[in-house]
Amino acid sequence: MKKSIIAGLLLFFALFAGQATASEHAAAPSHVSATAQHTEEAEVHDKSIWELLKSFYKTTGIYAFTTPQDGVVNGEGEEVSSFHQTWGRIIMIGITLLLFYLAIAKGFEPLLLIPIGFGGLLANIPMANMTGDHGFLGVIYNAGIANEFFPLLIFMGVGAMTDFGPMLANPKTALLGGAAQFGIFGTLVGAAALSQFTPLFDFSLQDCAAISIIGGADGPTSIFIATKLAPDLLGAIAVAAYSYMALVPVIQPPIMKALTSKEERMIVMKQQRKVHKLEKLFLPLIVLGLSILLLPESTPLIGAFTFGNFAKESGVVDRLSDTMQNALINIVTILLGLGVGSKLAAEKFLVGDTLGILILGLVAFAVGTAAGVLMAKLMNKFSDEPINPLIGAAGVSAVPMAARVVNKVGMESKPGNILLMHAMGPNVSGVIGSAVAAGVLISIFN
Amino acid sequence: MENMVAESFKYMVLGMGIVFTFLYIMVIVLQYQAKLIAKYFPEEPDQPSGGASTGLDKKKVAAVIAAIQHHKNIGK
Repeated sequence: MKKSIIAGLLLFFALFAGQATASEHAAAPSHVSATAQHTEEAEVHDKSIWELLKSFYKTTGIYAFTTPQDGVVNGEGEEVSSFHQTWGRIIMIGITLLLFYLAIAKGFEPLLLIPIGFGGLLANIPMANMTGDHGFLGVIYNAGIANEFFPLLIFMGVGAMTDFGPMLANPKTALLGGAAQFGIFGTLVGAAALSQFTPLFDFSLQDCAAISIIGGADGPTSIFIATKLAPDLLGAIAVAAYSYMALVPVIQPPIMKALTSKEERMIVMKQQRKVHKLEKLFLPLIVLGLSILLLPESTPLIGAFTFGNFAKESGVVDRLSDTMQNALINIVTILLGLGVGSKLAAEKFLVGDTLGILILGLVAFAVGTAAGVLMAKLMNKFSDEPINPLIGAAGVSAVPMAARVVNKVGMESKPGNILLMHAMGPNVSGVIGSAVAAGVLISIFN
Repeated sequence: MENMVAESFKYMVLGMGIVFTFLYIMVIVLQYQAKLIAKYFPEEPDQPSGGASTGLDKKKVAAVIAAIQHHKNIGK
């Protein structure tokens, strides 16, 4: 209905414009004897209807989508190919609509996919040039992503939201959060091998490192590392990281089930001891102290994280910790999402590398999960207390989704076996582990 | 980059080594801390909150019962 109205209006306009010029052309001979001024007026009049309409048409999106121009440049002054001006943009708009669908209908990380998707939609608008230095998205990108500021603020909020109680109750499970980081480093080797020995990918070592950090399943860390090591790949890496975090309930269970027997999945763990308040208070200081001594390169991430956690556990600045957990993290999420979305512009995203990043990211994620589960199996063999190998899968950060998945898979094997709190230990230590891994990568490439 | 694979393999050994060292030291420190705190601040959060609140509750309960009794007596 609406379509036909619009089509009708367009037709009417076209006819009107045509008729107007036609009648003027027809009238022209009778005005031959008229003054020069009159003809000039007629010419101006002529321009204002036909030419104006034509020049207006050239500024419409319809024209830009259908007629690629030479020499069109994007925000960074790079030339945009004709494919990326036409079909590329249309495909990317389709992809952003898919992100909306996943976020709204499927509930996949809506807090991030909606801002990222909308940022991507805005970034693919022709002529508006929102990703440029003076564009809306470009300003956001330069203000907080190019200088790695927003991911740190997010990390602060995550710190303020994290309860380390489960990890403190059974510190040994923290090692599982380390094992899952094998997803990062294993994929680094794999990506390097594929780049060197096959014509499939052509990534540098920096690129490989930035891609493999997706295996840490930690959005802010991925963005932090990608901006530092491979800013060109940021869009694809961020989208892959957040999509796979959202897909944890789909990706992890088959791997967990393949690597464990039914008996192992049915293992019941001892109830956790009560954790003293002082232990929670000192934990952020201990973690920060260790990273100062061992790996100062990781202190931006760990410092922000522990600050948030310290503010929470100190118990005297509830106002601040409340702001970090809610208002601040919400504001930053909006800005971060839009800024990352600006990298979904067709000429940045629709390149051969993106497919490689999506595949390697998935591999990294799967390897991390598997390494966590295998490590937990090993610990179960040598530990006095029983350890359900499933909790190893929560070693990839993705708090608290991964722990919930562990709980669900555990309940499937043995109803009533609640593993949630036991899985939170490796889960939160996975956040520390991936921040440490990130620090190692930064220290290598600096 | 002559040999990216060998290079990345070294990074892997270094990276996993540091991650595990970090977490292992953290685990040891946390276990030691738990012992220390249990020794010098035994059950501290329980005593003031638990002990005081139950004591207060008993007094309150007694007061409420007395008040109700009193009210009933007046009513009769």
